[in-house]
Amino acid sequence: MTQTQAAAGRRETDRLNKGGTLRRLSRRPEIGAFAVMVLVVAAIAIASGGTAFNPLGLKNNMAVIAQFGIIATAACLLMIAGEFDLSIGSMIGFAGMSMTMMLKWGLPFGLGEATPFTAFALTLVMTLGIGWLIGTIVVRSGLSSFIVTLAFLFFLRGVTEVAFRVINNSTQISGLPDYKQTSWFADLFGGQTFGWFYDAWFWLGGNINRAGAQWVTGFDARVMWWIVIALAAWFVLARTQAGNWIFATGDNRESARANGVPVNKVRIALFMFTAFAATIFAACQVFETNTADASKGNLKELEAIAIAVVGGTLMTGGFGSVLGVVFGAITFGLVANAVFFIPAIDGSYYRVFVGAVLLLAVFLNENLRKRITGGL
Amino acid sequence: MRTPVIRTERLIKRFGPFTALNGIDLEVYAGEVHALLGDNGAGKSTLIRLLSGVHQPTEGQIYVDGEPVSFRSPRDASKAGIGTVYQDLALNPLMSVTRNFFMGRELYTGPRPFGALRMAEMDRITHDEMIKIGIDVSDPQQAVGTMSGGQRQTLAIARAIYFGAKVLILDEPTSALGQKQQMEVLKTMMRVRARGDIAIIFITHNEVHSKLVADRFTFLALGEVIGKGSRDELAGEDIRHLMAGGVEMRDLEKELADIQAM
Repeated sequence: MTQTQAAAGRRETDRLNKGGTLRRLSRRPEIGAFAVMVLVVAAIAIASGGTAFNPLGLKNNMAVIAQFGIIATAACLLMIAGEFDLSIGSMIGFAGMSMTMMLKWGLPFGLGEATPFTAFALTLVMTLGIGWLIGTIVVRSGLSSFIVTLAFLFFLRGVTEVAFRVINNSTQISGLPDYKQTSWFADLFGGQTFGWFYDAWFWLGGNINRAGAQWVTGFDARVMWWIVIALAAWFVLARTQAGNWIFATGDNRESARANGVPVNKVRIALFMFTAFAATIFAACQVFETNTADASKGNLKELEAIAIAVVGGTLMTGGFGSVLGVVFGAITFGLVANAVFFIPAIDGSYYRVFVGAVLLLAVFLNENLRKRITGGL
Repeated sequence: MRTPVIRTERLIKRFGPFTALNGIDLEVYAGEVHALLGDNGAGKSTLIRLLSGVHQPTEGQIYVDGEPVSFRSPRDASKAGIGTVYQDLALNPLMSVTRNFFMGRELYTGPRPFGALRMAEMDRITHDEMIKIGIDVSDPQQAVGTMSGGQRQTLAIARAIYFGAKVLILDEPTSALGQKQQMEVLKTMMRVRARGDIAIIFITHNEVHSKLVADRFTFLALGEVIGKGSRDELAGEDIRHLMAGGVEMRDLEKELADIQAM
């Protein structure tokens, strides 16, 4: 028998081509989202003639981006663990209703007048409780989270509308006092943040000068919440034991369980995290505008899932990145808000964009999954 | 006389009216490969599930290092040092080698479960443990999905040993692999055997593989032990005969010839 020198010296491990930096980058989940984001930023900057990124444009865009970012981060973590939450949008509506109703009509059970803090805290207890309930139903029943959370999508929206009508005789609340002027807690959600950024811009001679005074003074507070939530989620997912459990739960639940990963606790905790994100979303909305109505948050759950997918999260779980969701949120926020900067388009264009990008992302993700596992 | 790491005494397991195991005696020694052979339905899987704590025996007793034990869960068995490597290997293909190696038993600094992973340390341990049994994972951050079947098998074995297995139960580790990969797994088993402190229970259908590595054989058929012995005590012909559950090869040849003649 003849054996060539090369064949004799080769090992199984030699067959994995680690490739260069470029190949390694191409295996990262957020790479596609990054490319799309760069394209969208450039396209909108040009089409709007720069107005999308002037001081006021940036502030308004960041407000929408942060809103998307907060819920999409939570949706992403849940999807990596292999579950969906379709109740996010209804949870936003429910939390907003709960907070404003308490502020207007007082705390339940005759506990007296509500402050922004007590209204928020009591609402958070309820939403976390509902998140726990959803998670528990999913893990105990073994039903698909798609169906269980679809039920809660209808249930929570219905409860919100009924509560508004029965107690308030109207499906919206307005005319609440401007709490952020008097309560530091309300200001934490509804006020402004990163004022130094615009102060510096003004000081450097930026064009935020109206009659000698600086007229854009900071970003909306929700930008700060988005950054805090995204940083925390990134750290937990990429750098902690809990993060390893989240990946393991979504990749192959049975093998994770066999290795001692508490897969049920992981999933319940993440359903509570999406409820938490929805509550923060609602609190920022309530304390900024001092209003609420029964349709708040409508369809937000689908946008959150779309952003997570565009950010490189696999629909089947086990893979994804918070950084990708950051890129996805920036992309979606800019396009959703583009109608205000580009006169020729309206909201329908946004939906066309979302549909097209989503489909593209799913194909890219599938391709990515095969590349990671060596199928390509 | 050495104490067996695992000894079972008249193990009986019934599922309702069905007797899956009917009085199994088994002795497994450290530093040996013990081949457990038998046809489908012979009771191999049930026996493994009793030893790894998935099921509890109806009657009979399991001893570990001479002490009677009763496992209520796989966790109990794993604490007692019994590591089971199932056919699906309990690996997650999208996760890295290191993350799989430490899945559920991560090294971290800080409060559980939000402690920071000591990734560099875990990478190093994974790399070293894999080298010990013969595979050089050049990049512990590569996804398990990129590894060959044989490499995955080795990863699962290395993981079980690192986390304290005195007894390795390998459930048909060569059955889903190509020829060359099968040899890799057999080599891995021999390296583990050479350590001298670990007992291997090797469940297989493959007569050739069992003869290559096993020191001791136990044959099961219809829930009972129909033959056992050390390598020296058993002749090659016996093994084939017992593997087929006691059916004579001559009988089979005759039956086949009859069909052909029809």
